[in-house]
Amino acid sequence: MSDIAFGDTTRGRSLTNAAEAYLEFARKAFSRESTYRVEVFTSIGSLVLRVYLLRSLWTALYSQNIAPSRIPLHAMITYATVALLMSLVLEVDGTRLIRDKVREGTIATDLMKPISQPLYWFSDGIGQTMFHALTIVPSLAFALLLVHIDVPSPGVFLAFALSFVLGYLVNFFLNFLMNVIAFWTLEAFAMQMMVRWASDLLSGQILPLEFFPGILGAIVMGLPFASIYSTPLRIYIGELPPSAWLPAIAVQVGWIALFAALAAIAWRFAEKRIIVQGG
Amino acid sequence: MPIIETRELRKVFRSVKRTPGAVGAIKTLFSRETVERVAVEGVTMSLDAGELVGYIGPNGAGKSTTIKMLTGILVPTSGEIRVAGLVPHLDRKKNARNIGVVFGQRSQLYWDLPLVESFELLRAIYAVPRDRFKANMAEFTQLLEMGDFLNTPVRQLSLGQRMRGDFAAAMLHDPRIVYLDEPTIGLDVLAKEAIREFVARVNAERGTTFILTTHDLADVERLCKRIVLIDEGRVIYDGGVEGIKEQYGTHRTLVVSLAGDPGTVAVADAELESREGNVVRLRFDRKAISADQLIRRVTEHYAVNDVSIEEPELESIIRRIYVEGYTDPLVAAP
Repeated sequence: MSDIAFGDTTRGRSLTNAAEAYLEFARKAFSRESTYRVEVFTSIGSLVLRVYLLRSLWTALYSQNIAPSRIPLHAMITYATVALLMSLVLEVDGTRLIRDKVREGTIATDLMKPISQPLYWFSDGIGQTMFHALTIVPSLAFALLLVHIDVPSPGVFLAFALSFVLGYLVNFFLNFLMNVIAFWTLEAFAMQMMVRWASDLLSGQILPLEFFPGILGAIVMGLPFASIYSTPLRIYIGELPPSAWLPAIAVQVGWIALFAALAAIAWRFAEKRIIVQGG
Repeated sequence: MPIIETRELRKVFRSVKRTPGAVGAIKTLFSRETVERVAVEGVTMSLDAGELVGYIGPNGAGKSTTIKMLTGILVPTSGEIRVAGLVPHLDRKKNARNIGVVFGQRSQLYWDLPLVESFELLRAIYAVPRDRFKANMAEFTQLLEMGDFLNTPVRQLSLGQRMRGDFAAAMLHDPRIVYLDEPTIGLDVLAKEAIREFVARVNAERGTTFILTTHDLADVERLCKRIVLIDEGRVIYDGGVEGIKEQYGTHRTLVVSLAGDPGTVAVADAELESREGNVVRLRFDRKAISADQLIRRVTEHYAVNDVSIEEPELESIIRRIYVEGYTDPLVAAP
């Protein structure tokens, strides 16, 4: 009886200890990112400039009646601006360090630590993201000086926020998977770039997926990339009615589960190769 | 009971055979032909807790491969291995708690952050109790004189400062075993001495077991009583530092300062090693002639101001073994 109780308390303690370690990884990643302050200012500056350019572009396009009429101009400008703000977080490739570590051989030092590697990268990635998430607030403030964006109801905003977090995770695990795969094909830079471009175009970051015509539109909407920008943004501008939220969010969760599982499997193979082949 | 034990430890690397050239690159893509490279060929050794052993050998001898297998990040092809009761590659994370590692060529510190933050992170990773952490920090800060740069970002530290940081980082969780891989490479004399002093002290006071891999044999002479010499994946000597000098250091050098210039200098049973002005260095085999006899022979023929005898340094002995191979059948490993 007392043995069981003792076992339980030690397990409880080691769980807290483990949680503390991963929290510390996130904190350190946050501090690490914050050492490059100039980069923060330039990224905010370039974002504000892009907000202004996109507003001009869409206004011009709409005056020529080129855009599909379903999305009104104010919603389009809102879409473009919010997409830019989201990109502050989504363009952080938190697991890029896997590739660097494998190439430089520093992965050996990490493997000599009593930690789970995927959890470590996840925590580190979250820490980096949290720092960049902070830059959204000032960026938004500056953007509002240049453009008007629609403000959704609290309910819509909450659904958007949830979907954004899920979109972040889809993106995170997709990147994670790509970075682990890069382990086998260190020179597969071209493949990486293609996935990146596909993701830029097909995620709805640059333009709403409604712009893709007919069957092409249906295919693009069915790809995992749509979960990253398109789903949360369509919730935000009201393209997705509340009745469609749940299925859309379920699809996002499905992609997260798939990519997380694939990344974990890929990592197991990579790790096995490191410890058998020596990297 | 030994804390580290390996038996017939062997590691063979397999890789796809590569053919050079553009056609070769395409061939490589489809070829299943593999080449084997034996990195470690049956290493058997046993270390007691508290030992400080120099693990030395030329580049490519299999030192790093052995260390990787001991840390559990490399699976042996065959043979047995136990570190503090664990099989490292089967219990990597548990094993990680027992060991500390210092690499001279790469750092485990966070490049962009103040040194102290890496220590805090390590405290969390190993779940070091706060009071223990505080005590270790205080002791290491003092021993390694880190007080002045604890709050400096690691990228701004000198190599010597960074290495001190790396040593502290490897020992914050009170590991029972520490592997040092070329820890003094590129350091100046002062930093080297500070680090050697630190290792000697931790070994003496805490009974920490050390395996030291280095090309700087002064490290070994200063710190180790025992050396394990490895070449082409095999242990070719395992024993005392004094023992190897005794066995292999059969040659001594007589340094003679001549009173005048006698022209050519030649003495029977001694080899003229070098001559700079009046100072002549004569290398002799102490089995062929005693120092006493040699000095008499020299003074018979030449006017001499001063003589001294140089004992062989470990470095020159090891160099000879690398070149000629270890030949004593009584000590050589099977």
